[in-house]
Parts: sequence; C-alpha cells; structure tokens
Amino acid sequence: MSEHKFNPEKGYIALLGWSLNAIEAADKFDRRYVVVAPDWAEAYCTEHNIPYVPWNFERLNDRSFEIAQTLKKMGVNVAIPLFEETVEWAGAINSVLLDSPRLFGQAMLLRDKALMKRRAQLGGIRVGIFEEAHDKEDVVRFLKRVNQTLLKLDGDPNDPIHLKAFDKAGCLGHRVIRTPDEVDTIPDEEFPVLMESHLDGWEFAVEAWIHKGKVAFLNISEYVTLGYSVFVPATPDLEKYRAQITAEIEKLIKTFDIEFGFIHPEYFVTSDSTMYFGEVAYRPPGFKVFELLERAYGFNAYQGLILTFDPKTTEEEVKAFFPKEVVDAKGYAGCFGVYPRRRVVSKLEMPEETENHEYFESHELTPPVEETVTKRTAFGTHWGLIYFFGEDPYVMRDLLKHQEELDFYV
Amino acid sequence: MSDSDAGSSVSAVNFEKLIQRLDDAIEALEDSRPFAKPAKLPRLIDIVRRVLLQPEGCAAVVARAERLENAGVFLGTDWADPAILLPYLTTSSLQSPHADTVIIEALSELRLLAVATGEYLHPSVSAEQAHHYLTQVLALNLSLLFGEGGEAEREQGKLALISRGVIGHVAREVGYEHVIDRLIEEIWRILQQRPIQVTSVRRMITQIALCRTDPAIDLGGAGQGAERLISSLYGPTQACREDPGVPVYEERLQSMDAVALQSEATGFARSMHDTGLVSPYHAAFVRYTLEKQDSLLTEALGLSSTGRDCLMCYRGLVHVLVTEGVFPETAQGLYGLALMLERGILYQPPVAPALWRQALLAICPEARERIQLAYGYSPQPKAWLIQGVLNMLGQPLGVGQGNNPTCQSARALSMWAYNDPDYLLQMVAWAARDNEIIMHFEGQPVSSAESRGGVASELTLDLDPVSLVVVPHLDRIYAEMGRLCIGRPGDPHQWVNPEFHGWSAGRGFAINVDVGTGKLQDLEGFLRHFYASYHPYYNGNQPLIHPQPAGIAVTDSAARFIGWHAITILRVNLDPEDVMRVYFFNPNNDSGQNWGDGVVVSTARKGERFGEASLPLEQFASRLYIFHFDPLERGEPARVDEEELQRVIDRVHNSWGRDRVPADTSLQAEPPQSGA
Repeated sequence: MSEHKFNPEKGYIALLGWSLNAIEAADKFDRRYVVVAPDWAEAYCTEHNIPYVPWNFERLNDRSFEIAQTLKKMGVNVAIPLFEETVEWAGAINSVLLDSPRLFGQAMLLRDKALMKRRAQLGGIRVGIFEEAHDKEDVVRFLKRVNQTLLKLDGDPNDPIHLKAFDKAGCLGHRVIRTPDEVDTIPDEEFPVLMESHLDGWEFAVEAWIHKGKVAFLNISEYVTLGYSVFVPATPDLEKYRAQITAEIEKLIKTFDIEFGFIHPEYFVTSDSTMYFGEVAYRPPGFKVFELLERAYGFNAYQGLILTFDPKTTEEEVKAFFPKEVVDAKGYAGCFGVYPRRRVVSKLEMPEETENHEYFESHELTPPVEETVTKRTAFGTHWGLIYFFGEDPYVMRDLLKHQEELDFYV
Repeated sequence: MSDSDAGSSVSAVNFEKLIQRLDDAIEALEDSRPFAKPAKLPRLIDIVRRVLLQPEGCAAVVARAERLENAGVFLGTDWADPAILLPYLTTSSLQSPHADTVIIEALSELRLLAVATGEYLHPSVSAEQAHHYLTQVLALNLSLLFGEGGEAEREQGKLALISRGVIGHVAREVGYEHVIDRLIEEIWRILQQRPIQVTSVRRMITQIALCRTDPAIDLGGAGQGAERLISSLYGPTQACREDPGVPVYEERLQSMDAVALQSEATGFARSMHDTGLVSPYHAAFVRYTLEKQDSLLTEALGLSSTGRDCLMCYRGLVHVLVTEGVFPETAQGLYGLALMLERGILYQPPVAPALWRQALLAICPEARERIQLAYGYSPQPKAWLIQGVLNMLGQPLGVGQGNNPTCQSARALSMWAYNDPDYLLQMVAWAARDNEIIMHFEGQPVSSAESRGGVASELTLDLDPVSLVVVPHLDRIYAEMGRLCIGRPGDPHQWVNPEFHGWSAGRGFAINVDVGTGKLQDLEGFLRHFYASYHPYYNGNQPLIHPQPAGIAVTDSAARFIGWHAITILRVNLDPEDVMRVYFFNPNNDSGQNWGDGVVVSTARKGERFGEASLPLEQFASRLYIFHFDPLERGEPARVDEEELQRVIDRVHNSWGRDRVPADTSLQAEPPQSGA
C-alpha cells in the first residue's frame, strides 16, 4: 500500500499530467490526491499504488465534461494543471468542480498569447507592440512597421522582432527575425503566430503563489541568458525592483481575476526601470525552477501548489508553509541547459572546471544517441540541465554565463 | 575573456562540500517514495563517482555504506542481494566503460568492506562471508592493484581511476596477505611471456617484498613462493643476498677472487634466465668485470655455445653496447643482449654495423625529452634507447603496446625485430636521430612529420624505450595511410597492412565482415580459405614462412565483442598433445586472456616459445576476421571436415558474431558458390 496519509478535513486534488516530482510531493503531503494521466501511466501507477484516473489530454472536445463529472463523483475538489497543455483542461474541470463558469474563460485567456496580451493591455499593464500573423506577409509588414516607428531609415540595421506560437510553453517555437529574408525560413505550418517588438532590457520571470486573490509567495527568477540559464533568488540588482514587481503582479491578478493557484509571468525591465509584461502561464515553469526553489528555500513548490489550489486551505496554513522571500533562502540555486556546440559529437564529457567547481551539484545529461547534432532552428530544446548551488549570486551568475563557452559534448 | 576567472579559480575540489552533497543526495533518496527512487539515483551515482575520484573518497563512502544501502541504491539490481554475488563478475563491471556499472560495483565492494570490518551488521551477509568475497575480488582484480592496463581499461578512461582506487582501498583494509599467493602465481604467468616492459611486474614484486618486511602485515604462510622473484631483483647472488645497495656491492667485488667472481657470474645468469628479470647488481657486476676480466661475460650472460660464438665474433661491439647502455637502472638490457646473441642475428651483414650506429647515435631533443619524461635523467637517454634496442632484438615477442590503442605499431615493431632486424634499427635511427620517419604508400611518400595525427591522441609513457620513441611516428604514418584509403570500398587494412609492415606481408586479403553493414559475410568461404592458406594438412604441409598480420575480434570472458585487434600469426604446428595450434603474437601486454565460450588463450605449456600465445586452430579461427595470403599461392578452398567447420561457425555465432549474422542465415549453411 501507498504510505500516503491524508487529512480528511482538507481538499481532494487532481494532478493533471504526469510529473513524478509532483506525484511524490503530493504523496508526501497531507491532501488526498489522484493523478490524471494518459493510459501509458497505468501500469506504473498500479505497480506503485498511485491513485490514478486515465485520461488522454487532446484538444478539448465534447467528452471534456465526462472527466469533470468523473472527478466530481470521486469527490475531487480542484484540478491542478502541471503542463501548458493541461491548463485549459483544468479550467474546464474546475469550472464544474467549483461551480464557477468564468474559470474556463480565464483558462482560455491564459492559453492564448495574443488574447492574454490584449487583456493585459486593457488592464493598464504595459506591453510591447504585438500583433497576430497569419502568413509570412504579415511578418514582413510588422517588421517594417516596427522599424519605421523606431525612426529607422532604409539601410539602418533593423531591430529584431520575436515570433511565438500562441499556445506553446516557454521557448518552444520562439524565433527571432531581423530581416525580411529570414521570414522565408519559417515553415508555413507554424502559422498563426504572435509577433512582438523587441524590448531591449532585462528579462526575468516571476513565480507567484496566490491564495484568496493575494500573493502568498513571490519569487523572482533571474535569467542569465534566455533559454540557457536561470537562478533563484535573483541578485540584489534585480531584487531591488521587488516592490515594483509585486505591484505589477497584483495588477495582473486583478486584471485576470485570479483567486487562487499559481502564475508564472515573464517581464522585461528596461533601462529606465519601466516594466513590460511579456506573457503569463498558469502552471509550473520549465527549467526545473520548482526544484531550484526547493534547493534554495527548502520548501516543496509542488506542495505549495496543492496548498494554494485547495479551496479548503486556511490562511494560517499558507502563512506557515511559505518562507520569507530572499531572507530565508539558504543560498542561490541555478541551472544551465546544455546545447552541444559542435556539429558532430561522440560522447558526453563534463568539463573538469565545471565538475570540480564547488557550486556544482549534479547534472542530468545523458550520452548522445546520435552523432550529428540537429541544427537549431528556433530556440530549440536543451540536451539536459546542470545544477549549481552556492552562497554568492554574482559568482552564480558569472558561473552560469561561463558555461556557455564550454563543450559538454565532444 | 571576461569570464575567465569564473573558470580558473576553481581547480581544486572542495571535499567537504562534496561530502555535504553526498549526504544531501543520500537523504533525498532516503526520503523518497519507492516509486520515485529511480529518478533520484542518477544524481547520487554521479556524486558518488566524484567522491570516489578524491583521495579520501573510499573511506567516506564506506562510512556511509549502511545508509546508502538502506536508502535503496541497490534496489531492483543484482547487488541488492549480496549473498548471491559472484566475485568473478566484478572484473568486467569494474572495467566497464559505463560509469553507472562501475559505480554500483564500487559501492557494493565498499559496502561489503564495511560489513567485513564489522562497521555494518548486514542482515544477509556475515563479516566472514564479506571478507572471503573481498579476498577473491582482490585476487581477481590484481591488475587493478598493480598496473597492467588492458584493452578494456583503455576504453574506460578516467573511470579506471575509480576502479583502481576502490580495489586499492579494499586491499589496504582487508590486507595484502590474502592476495599475495594469487599475485605470485599471476607474476609467474606474466613472466613466462617474457615481456620487455617489466615495470609493473617489478612493482608487484616490490609490493610483495614490502608486505613481507612490514611487521604490521601478517602474511601467515602466504608469500613463500615469492622468494625467487624477490631475490631475482634484490639479491640474486651470494654477495648481494641481503640487498646491500650497489655501492657496497661494488666494494665487495674489489675484494673477490676469481672463484668468487665466477660463482657470482653463474648466480646472476641462473636467476636472469629463470625469471627474465635482471637485478641492478647484475649490471654493476658486468660493468666491473668488463674492465678487469671480460671472460666472465659469457658466464654472466649464461650463453650457450651459439651465443658464446657470436659474442666472440662481435666482442668489440658487445663491449661498446655494455659500456654505453648497461647501467644498474638499465640492467634489463642484459637479458636482451643475451637472447640477441643467442638468436645469431649479428651474423646478418647489416645488423652489426647498424648496432654500431645505434651505440653512438645522437638523439634529437624530442626523443630525448620523451625518454627523460618516462625514465628520468640518469643514465643518459642514449643508454635507455640501447637497452630498449637490445631487449627488442632479444625478445621480439615481448613488445607490448602499453595503455595505448596502438596495437598496429607495436605489432610492426615486433615483426621487424623478429624478421627484419636491420630494418627495425633503421626505423629507430630515423625516429631517434631525425624525428621523422618516411614510409611509402603505393609509391607515395608518407612522412610522420607532416601527418595530421595518429590513432592515439596522446601516447602514455608506459612503453619500452624503443616504442616510446618510434611508435608516435609509426602511429601517425599508419593513420595517414588509412586516410589515403578513404573512399575505397572495403576494409582499409587490405592496402595499409602490406605497405606498413613490409613486403613479406601477403598482398592477398580476406575478411569475413562486411564493412558497410558490420554483418558477417561468406563465413564459410573465409574459413575454408584460411585453412587452405595456413593449416598444414590443407596447404601441402607448408610451414608459415614470414609472420603474417591478422585481425582478431576480441571478446571478453562472457564471449561478448570488445573490439578489433591486430596480431601476428607466427606458426601453425601440432602441439605436444598433437592438437593443431596457431601460435601468434599479441601486442597486448598480457596475451593470456579468456575470450569466453571456452576459448582461453594459452601462453605456456602448449609448446609456446617465450612471448607466444596459442590456441587450437579451430578456436583461433573462430575469432579471426582478417588474414593475409600470397595471392599467387592461393589454392582451392580447403575441404574441411563439415563438423569441424560447423563447430567454428557455431563459435563465431556464439560470440562476436552474435549480432552480425546476416538476415538470411540459410546462406551460411550452403556450400560456397564457385568463384566466391
């Protein structure tokens, strides 16, 4: 039998999607839980006594109501999305479980980057220039217009624009376009996309746990290089904006009418300290930021998720669970995503200077399966993460930056 | 570089922090739910790997052995139940190229060490059982204890340091006395092959000698058989029995009369020919008597009438070689000198003048530097090179490749020393004096100085002096010849081998693997052809004339494929038990290998000469994948007995050919098509 013990006074939660770390966190926590995952997970769940309901998360369809009903009959109180693809499912299910139809609309808003930006704009949040593109011509037009606005003359180097898929997580499908020629490299099947002007500034992300419409815990994740590395908590250079960032998050909570749960927005801060909203996700961030938070603060971020989603959680519980931001951190935890730098690689070879660095913790790189490295088109996916932990945020930042110059695959 | 300080200030490992990480990782595994444990293991295993690379690492892991096991590191593996572990399996897991395998095996050994020392009361293994198991593990992994890197270790890289570290730690804790007897046997087995490079054997013997004199180590009845080995290095004769040191011994020599000197000379010779090892006292003796009474040289070298004749004819040359090349440090050269004289090769007209050149050769700075790096500054590099040349000419089958992937070059050196000594001396002269060797590939000159690099990225220094100087050149030329074959269909050895080794290597070429697919091709035709070329019953009773290069698919003791390896076929004869055997030279440092499926390479007592390896022809054929032949002599495919042929084919299919059988196996069973 599972060692799991739960408190019957508290909520019953459903985890949407398969994440071993989330399941383990739930199993060690005091809330009753069930995993909703595709049927390939069944054997594993049966073997290990993990409570499980099979469900294949494809596009929402007329069967969506069925899973909501199933969970409702089981007595589940709330569903927690673990991945971008399950956000709208959580919205649909929770609108039934919590009898609050607007939750579904909210989820759809949070799933579409273009809608999300418009809503933010309506709420008085600063965003860059953006537009939807349906074909390549739209992209060329937007590129030209953005650069006209910047009073550039013909022949001046263009400011780049960013292209993102409407509904994909993080860097997936993210491209940077500088010249009309580059537009031709975009495959037709990637359309429609969201286009944004480039903001010269410092990009960072926020992880905010929200309970009863208030911020319960707010972390600022500092990107060293977007798509490569991140660490928590941020350097004092970024933390000095905390008050301003908190105000922005409160604006976001109000604009999107978020009562509970967890958001993961991205912002730019420009040289004149203006915050620009990038996008927001209603699910745990990629790049293992939850794991980094646990390393830095010692609390389990997934359990925080369960706590803030559960409608039966009290304010005292929330207060007791979360540590005090920055001051309670035992150190700085960061990770670096490795991309092979050579075209042909034959083996994994950790650089000694990385492995012997006192901040180095562990890595999850695996030996290469193929010798030829596929050329990165968009931002692409890294081959694995390397974890660091140490006392000095600046050493951490420089160390993460330095990793970009090293070969891990030779 | 703006970030360079982030990288350079961090060379040393902070062991305390590393241990803290280890404890954190163990804790994470302890706290983990059983279903999530597998996901926590990679981090722990990697940290253990880093800990074990540190000098104090083994002790730190032993101290945490109980926690590690209870946390679940072995869960779901064979190691979870230590009572069923088989010591002989540790050899392959400790030499595995996969970090996870090496680490889990290392963890298991260290856990049993904690059990053996009583630190850890294990529920299923007693301290005595653990102790017994570890003793066997030590005896089986002696090579990890005292050097001698094999093929597998070369593939393993830095992981080998961990395996060595763990075995060394276990030996120190369990006690060397438990492995000594096994070790002595092992040393004799290696010495029977008369290797040129005896550094690691010397190290093993020294280790035993130290254990025997260390009052803290109770050897009990063990180590009695080490007497002859230890004395051969540290006191082979009456006057140096108690290892007094060379200066004291030299003083004693001055006061000896003719009878005493005579007895010293025979004592040295007996010991040298007994073990193949030469004591530094022996060199001191020879240098002393060369000035006073050179008639004793014959005795001191233990020469037969052939050797004595040769010595008499070339006395001046031998004197110069001794004066220039034989010092207590290079004493081993005396054994080479004795065997070289016995071979009579000095009677070949170019050899003696070539040796005169060798004795006076000016060595270029590059070669000088390599020799000094490997052997130190005293005596001069020239002396080391002379020692190397003497040993190579005296023991052509004692050449070893060291811990390098350069079996081709080692094989070539051995072949020339055996077959074409003055050519070898020419190579040495070019490499040592000019730092360049030029060979020709199909008429086109190939220079070692202009090559883009060899097979080995860098050569280790565990080589004999000749190899140390010549192999880097040969390796580059070999690789360059390979590059010149790029684009040609089939295996490049077909063209490279004859051009590289010399005219006597057959131009005809047979291979049983399709280079493109890696699958077996026409195995039966290949084998019939091999029998027709090499087996005296099928080739008109023609003994092999020149040693021929051949390629072997090396397998491990479980008959799994390890890699392709270059060897030399020397002769094919009936052995003392009337079994047809192939006698061959393996440039690997130790030819006595277990290739699995009952194929155990013999190095002694089956009619082998020093340095030869042998297998019954059937078994040899089952590991062969390339051979050369004279295309003009090529006869009909031999009408080999179907049963015998099938046995060979089965052995191929059961070992390295397991995954190489072509899709349609029925073709294999049919008789070869005409003209195939």
